[in-house]
Amino acid sequence: MRTIRWMSLLLVLTLLTGCAGQGKREQKAERELFAMDTYMTVTCYGPQAEDACDVAETEIRRLDALLSVGNPDSEVSAINAAGGGELTADTKALMETALSMWQATSGAFDVTIYPLMTLWGFPTGDYSVPDGETLAAVRAHVGCDQLVYDPQTGTLTLAPDQGVDFGGIAKGYTSDRLGEVFAAYDLTGAIVSLGGNVCLYGEKPDGKPWRCGIQDPFAADGGRTLLGVLTAEDVSVITSGAYERFFTDEQGNVYHHILDPATGYPADSDLASVTIVSKSGIEADCLSTACYVMGRERAADLWRQSGASFDMILMTRDGTVYVTEPLRGSFTTDYPLRIIQ
Amino acid sequence: MRKNKSVKADLLLVAVLILVGIAIGGALLLTRHTGVVVTVSVDGRVVERFPLTENRRYEITGAEGGYNRLVIEDGQAWIQEADCPDALCVHMGKIRYAGQSVVCLPHRVVVRIEDSPDGMPDGVDAVTG
Repeated sequence: MRTIRWMSLLLVLTLLTGCAGQGKREQKAERELFAMDTYMTVTCYGPQAEDACDVAETEIRRLDALLSVGNPDSEVSAINAAGGGELTADTKALMETALSMWQATSGAFDVTIYPLMTLWGFPTGDYSVPDGETLAAVRAHVGCDQLVYDPQTGTLTLAPDQGVDFGGIAKGYTSDRLGEVFAAYDLTGAIVSLGGNVCLYGEKPDGKPWRCGIQDPFAADGGRTLLGVLTAEDVSVITSGAYERFFTDEQGNVYHHILDPATGYPADSDLASVTIVSKSGIEADCLSTACYVMGRERAADLWRQSGASFDMILMTRDGTVYVTEPLRGSFTTDYPLRIIQ
Repeated sequence: MRKNKSVKADLLLVAVLILVGIAIGGALLLTRHTGVVVTVSVDGRVVERFPLTENRRYEITGAEGGYNRLVIEDGQAWIQEADCPDALCVHMGKIRYAGQSVVCLPHRVVVRIEDSPDGMPDGVDAVTG
């Protein structure tokens, strides 16, 4: 009988320690920082999570200092001031992707849109609606076809009054760089949000895929809390929408920050937001902007032409969600859903 | 006779211990999902934590002054009013799921919903947008 007594005690103890053990998880490290004009979080899982977080933060700060148009000492500021120059490894990679995406999107993504952005006041927050003449004069200098870039030497020559801003793709590029850091530190998983640009690396500590929510562009106007939820691993998920940055003039007209290079005005497509899912963060960043400008039909055509090298979730202004076929099983939404094939 | 009584006592003890074990285990399981909190951080430092289940209004002071009025009501949290230049935080709408956040860049204020370690079925790990 003594045996039973001891066994039952042991049973209870096992139950208790079993429960306590569930709270134990593998090593996790987190960082929260303000950089690149936005709020960022980095969460790493693995034995070297702390070190990986430190290096990730250093890398973010380094790229911010290099690419910020607001910082007169940055490499990008120097290029714009001098009308060109010899690019370093990072700006070279950014420039080359920007040029190939400019071509792939028929100019809907254009890295030389910076003078137009400045005219509208988006980089500084000193907003104003330009008159048609001024706008046409500035827009005349926008276009990657006007610059000269030599990939052999990495030399960039801008046309007079041209300027480049990698701000639209810097966060996507940064998430790719962080992916390399995570691989070097053997992380089992990591999740990064660079101002809403999400990078999902590896898997969650419980071995399940990450759950990435997508901001509802109608959230402030009685919409839902989330447009939908995507489960995924090892991809960047990047969303562009007019709701992210905009201003209202005295007449109550709303102007948002995604300018159409073809008109110089805020893009006026049938889309409320575009989410791109891709292995490449920088491509996802370019494509989310470009597809927003292009509208649903042209974005769907671009996806078909690309041989489905990325996926997308489009929300139209009338509140319908369109997703590309491969996402059918991993995306859920309460909105009406259509599949792009 | 004496031996029989001892068996009964032992069985009783076993039953009691098992019940205690189940009760403790059950309590641990039940309390696990109630950990949903709204954290308020200013310039990267957490200044307040509120349960999402309690209605409240709270004035957040920005990193360099200014205010954001946080409202927690019916399991949702949002910034109702703020004196920041762009008021984007007010336009970000209401949040309710773990992983969601409302950010005010000019004030360096972040309101985030955080979850107990094991996660809610509706929770997300991050939000793109």
